[in-house]
Order: sequence, then C-alpha cells, then structure tokens
Amino acid sequence: MDRIFGIDLGTTNSLIAVMENGEPRVLADLETGRTLLPSVVAIAPDGGVAVGDAAIALETEAQRSSVVIRSVKRYMGLGGGELGAEERRRYQFADLSGPVVRFKVGDRVHTPPQISAEILRALKRRAEAAFGGERVERAVVTVPAYFNDAQRQATKDAGRLAGLEVVRLVNEPTAASLAYGLNQLTDGYVAVYDFGGGTFDISILNIKGGVFEVIATNGDTHLGGDDLDQAIVAEVLAGLPEEARPDRELWSRARTAAEAAKQRLTVAESAEIRLATGAGVIERTLSRADFERLAAPIVERTIECCRRALADAQLAPAAIDAVVLVGGSTRSPIVRRRVAEVFGREPFCTIDPDEVVALGAAVQGGVLTGARSDLLLLDVAPLSLGIETMGGLMERLIHRNSAIPTSVTGGFTTAVDNQTHVDVHVLQGEREMARDCRSLARFKLGPIEPGPAGIPRIEVTFLIDANGILNVTARDQRTGREHSVDVKPSYGLSDEEIERMLEESIDLGEQDLEERLLIAARNDADQILAALAKQLGEYGDLVDAGERRRMAEAAERLETARSGTDRELIARLVEELNEASTPFAHRIMDRAIGEALKRKSVDEFS
Amino acid sequence: MITCPSCMRAQAPALVCAGCGAPLGANLDLFAAMNLPRRLTIDAAAMERAYHDLSRRIHPDRFAAAPAAVRDASMRATALLTRAYRSLRDPISRGRYWLELHGRKLGENNQQVPAELAAMVFETQERLEELRDSRTPENLAAARTRQTEAARVLADAKAELARNFAAWDGAGEDADEERRKARFTNLKAILSKIAYLTTLERDIFRELETARAA
Repeated sequence: MDRIFGIDLGTTNSLIAVMENGEPRVLADLETGRTLLPSVVAIAPDGGVAVGDAAIALETEAQRSSVVIRSVKRYMGLGGGELGAEERRRYQFADLSGPVVRFKVGDRVHTPPQISAEILRALKRRAEAAFGGERVERAVVTVPAYFNDAQRQATKDAGRLAGLEVVRLVNEPTAASLAYGLNQLTDGYVAVYDFGGGTFDISILNIKGGVFEVIATNGDTHLGGDDLDQAIVAEVLAGLPEEARPDRELWSRARTAAEAAKQRLTVAESAEIRLATGAGVIERTLSRADFERLAAPIVERTIECCRRALADAQLAPAAIDAVVLVGGSTRSPIVRRRVAEVFGREPFCTIDPDEVVALGAAVQGGVLTGARSDLLLLDVAPLSLGIETMGGLMERLIHRNSAIPTSVTGGFTTAVDNQTHVDVHVLQGEREMARDCRSLARFKLGPIEPGPAGIPRIEVTFLIDANGILNVTARDQRTGREHSVDVKPSYGLSDEEIERMLEESIDLGEQDLEERLLIAARNDADQILAALAKQLGEYGDLVDAGERRRMAEAAERLETARSGTDRELIARLVEELNEASTPFAHRIMDRAIGEALKRKSVDEFS
Repeated sequence: MITCPSCMRAQAPALVCAGCGAPLGANLDLFAAMNLPRRLTIDAAAMERAYHDLSRRIHPDRFAAAPAAVRDASMRATALLTRAYRSLRDPISRGRYWLELHGRKLGENNQQVPAELAAMVFETQERLEELRDSRTPENLAAARTRQTEAARVLADAKAELARNFAAWDGAGEDADEERRKARFTNLKAILSKIAYLTTLERDIFRELETARAA
C-alpha cells in the first residue's frame, strides 16, 4: 500500500508528516526549511490565492485588494446564523442565512472548506516536492476531538476539494497520544490536554499493549489561543474613545501585537505593546501578572472541561499516570501551572507541542497502511446523538463517549392511519430539549404502504463510523426491503455543490488522477461481480425469479460499462448492483438467526 | 448460516470468520459477541484483554484497503463489539442487559421510592431543604453525613447485585422456574434501588456544590 500522509489542519498553523522506517517525520518547506505553514489564506478579487507566509505578507500591504483570512477552522461546519459577533466582525460575508458561511471577496464567495482546501493543497505540494514529485493522494487529517458531525464533514469536504482522499479523520489529542505512545509512554491512564489556537480538547486514554483506548473526551471548539489574544486586545483598546472605535484594520494590527506580547510573556516577565490609532499611539506594558489575570477565566474553562472528562471516565485525577501537553497555547506558564495543580503531577511536553499532532497523524497513516500493525486506536464519539420526539424532546440514542464505530437500531412507525412518510430529525448535543441541541440532519422515511397507524415497522440504523460521522440506513421490517434514506444535513455543503466546486478547480495535473480513479472503479466492479456470482451459486434458493433477473440485468449493464472508460457510469452501476443485491445479502446474513433473538435486540423507541 | 465476505465460507454467526479470520457483520447477542459464556460474574481484566484482542482483529483500521463488503462487515462487527464491551463491563448495565436478554426490560419509571429506602430518602430531603434555606456549617455537615450514608447504602446495593449475579451463575439456565422468577424479581428490585440511589447521590452532590459555590 502506498504512503498515507498525516496532516494537522490547525487553526493557526498546519503541518504535514509521514512515516519513514517506522518513525514519523514532519516535512519542511524545501525553500524556507520551516515545518509550520501558517493557516492563513489570501484571496484576490479575481480568485487568485496565496497561502502561508505569502498571505501574511499581503496582510500588511497598505493598498491590498486581497482578503486575508486567518483561523478559517473557526468557521468550519457553521451555518451563517451561528457566527458570533467577533467572527462576524472580522470579515465580509455574503448571505448569513444559509447552511454554510460564505466569505465575500469582490464579486465571489468562498466557503470554509474551499479555503481550508487551499491550505491542504499547499501541504500536498510541499510533500510532493519532498518526495521528488511522487503523487500525494491519501491522508489522515486531524480534527479537534470535540468537533461535531458538520465540522467533521466540512473537513472531509476540504480534503476532497484539495484532491486528497481523507482515509481517516483522527481526533487531535488521540493523534498526539500515538506520537507519545511510540516510545515515551508506558501502559496506563493518560490525559492529553490539547490547547490550540482556536480549540480546546481533553482526552483520557487507557493505553495497554499498543492499544490506545479513549475512555472520555471533552472540550470546546471555540476556545483557544485566539481568545487569549482577544482578551489582551480588549484590555489594550479599552481606553479608546468612542469615535476612534477600532475598524477591521486596527483590530487586525492589535491582534498581531497581542499575539506577539503573549508569546514574549511565556519567557519574559513583561512585554511592551505599541499601537498607532486614530486617537494617538497606545503604549502599554503588560506584565505577566496582568496577562495571567486576563487569561485565568479562559484557562479555568479548560479546567472545567478536564473535570467533566474525568467524571465521565469515572477516574480521580490521582488515577492518571501521565499528562501530555499539546498545542501552542500550552507554552504559557499559567496553563502548565494549572494543569500540574489539577492532575497533581508535572505534565509531559518532550515533543514539540506544535508538531506532535501531525506526527501522530502520520503514525495513524502507518497503522492504516499496515506498516504499524502493532498499534490500534479505539476512539469515542464526543457528543450524544439522538432524535427529536413528541413534545420537542431530545431522545438520546448514542451516548457521548461511546466507543466508535458504534450503531443503534430502532423501530419507527406511523402515528396516523395511511401515513405515507415519517419525518426524522437527528440531533447532536447533551441538552434535554431538541431546540437546545444542534440540528444534525433531517430525513424522511417512506414511501410507506398505506395501513392503520402503528402497524408499519421501519427499522432505522444510526451508525457512527470510525471518523465520527453519522450514516443512516433503514429497512421495512415486514418486507425486508431497504428504504433509501435521503439525509439532508442541516449544515454544510451538499454533494452537488462539492461536485461543482471540484469541476471548477480541476486542472491538467489531475488527468493522471482520472486514470487512477478509472482503475479503482473497475476494481470495485470486478469485486462486486465476483462476489455476487459466488453468492448466487451458494444461496440461489434465497432469491425469486424476479429478483434474480433484476440482479442479472444490473450485472450485465455493469459488465458492459466496465469495458468502457466512463468511471462515473461504472461507479453508478456498481452502486445500482449493490442496491439490487443488498436485500439478498441481508437474507444470507440473517438466514440462521432466530427471529426471537432479533426481536430482543431491537430497541423500541418510537 | 452467514457467509464471510472475504473468503465466502458459510458458517454459524460469529464476529470473526472461522476460515480466514476476517470480520463478519453478524447479529449476535452481546455475550456471544465478546465470546463470553452467559454468566453474570465477569473478570474485568480478562474482558478488557478480550476486547483489545478482538478489536485488533476486526477494527476498520485493519481493513482500510479491503473491498467495500469487507470494510462494511468490519464496521458492523466492531460496532457490535464496542457495544458489547461497554454494556457488559459495567455491572449495572450488565444486569439491565440480562433482563433485556430474557425479555424483561426494566421500566424507565424509577420515580417511586423503594420502600426500604423511604426513611433514608425522607431524611436526606429534609437535610437538603435545610441546607438550601440556610448554609450554616451545621447544615453543611449534616448534608455531608447524608452523602456518606447514601454512598454506604449504594455500596451495599452493589454488593447485593454481585450476590444476585452469583446466584444466577450458580443456578445455571435450567433451574427451578419459581426460583428463577424470584431471581428476576430480586434483580429488578436491586437495579431500581441502584438507579434511585444514583439519582439521590447526584442531587446531594449538586446541593453541596451549589452551597460551596455560594
């Protein structure tokens, strides 16, 4: 199997790493020698793009026409209406009512996955240069453990738009534990405290004999070093008179100055801030004590998350054998001090906190290729998943911190006679009322054969896969027929939108990719055709004539398409044959299982 | 019988193919999924070893390059395994699953105070009420005493649960019908009691936290 790269798509910086000879290594830019790529994207009105230092250089240009976007990760998976005042103030947006945030640059709009894709492309080019032009196609990408379904999906979309197959999304703290686990940790309970530029996560793991089992995770996807900077900005600009209220430009300079001061304060006892404003020059000396007074409430919020994670893990702080620090914000002495106090031990920080997540992602890439089959990650779902029931309540189906992949099956039925559809609203969150949880998706079950209320039974399976993303399947329990479930995500891009964006962004270099995809599609076709032939040979008694004919016809269409070069057609026909043969496959699986047993495992909740 | 999507061998439902060792997306009860006999007394360390060992063999990370049918089987098998491990690891959820497995699901309606707890609950509510009215050191100390008491009764109930488990394991599935019924009744009563005490413990904890924060 080819290499699988590990990418840390961070709020402030992004990195790419890979396994070589059983050890992970971060790849540096060939020209500058730097490993960190600032997660900054400049977009010109004509659609031209610059990433990293080149984008930062544009930011300070006086007459710039480009829009320079920082911390795009904060916008991933959010609907326009969900932006806080702070996020809204930073940039111009088009239409804040939609399911996706749209940045406005000139006449064009750009969504967060598209902007993140530019960062991923830059990393991809870096890796291709490092490996003498070898194609970089597959990657493990990390996400905050506390990312919800929409945020995860948006990250996968970004990968797709960058021409990367995201083989797995891995939670950042879990990835970090893998990097440390290679040779610095012994078996036991480990807490990973991950305080990055824009997000905070705490994960508690049980590490034993190469198995990294996450027991509990908690966090806040809008809590990070950015908030420390903002607290300093607010303090420094507090004295400005009303008429000199900061515009976007002043605010941006203030933020840069605040960040620099924060960094100096990790080693120095005080830092100077000098800022030219419309109302004169602000000069201010910030002592470490000043900074810690501003930072304390933010750090306490992370400690609160730690307490909740420990409670969920049913562990006392003293039971933790090692604490690992991840993320640039853990460089602040106040953070280290508080973590040491809470866990009663000095935290580990022997691996560069900026690089450790990318290194761990590369290790997971090695696990997926089989290069490190001695290791295995068992992760959890950070948030509970449920459905809206009568009275607007949230009925929990999968509890937070369930090990993934996990699934739950439940029966749905009709409420009135001759009802032909059942509407299902899927939610994510910990609150009791549906309106206080985050809407994940809606779907319609049906068409249902008309009949008295309560008689039809549709079995719906909610499955959270190893990426932490929801998949829904449904089938009619009486007929055994699979229902197609058209899940409409509440936030994020639709498949059509992504397709369109992909078409717009395709360049000549991808021609070769097209060829590979064709080969992959043909392989899929061969596999399903062979499997079906074999199954029909063994279990021919399980299909009736009509079904056999339908499957045979679908198989024939696929055979014909397979000898052509239209990979989309092949993919569609593979899917069609797959659908046509699914009931048959289920019957094979179910053959010997007693009905009684099945009934017991069905959890009734409708 | 089910068919292995990897080697196409037909076999009895299991988590792992008897022929090639690949994962099977079978539908099994949770004891069978963990490859455990149907016994209620379980050695936690042995179960963790079994969970890690099975995970190593069937987890989707092991089949990233496999055909879709195998990846799907791996995902379904792992989903079943994780559910089995999480449900059976904790004695309380294990007891609940035992009822469910025998078609006697414990109702969600645990609002009624079990008779034997009535006096204790009444006194605890009184003390919490007093603490809410006035946060004196005496009231705080009284609430803490109730907290200790609730923890003790809960520990007793958990010991009772372990005895009920031992009774099941000692009797086997084919025991006398009357005694079997009695064991079910006893198990339900203990689980209700534990559910009630857990809620009570949480209430006391919250009151004490509120008092502390004030």
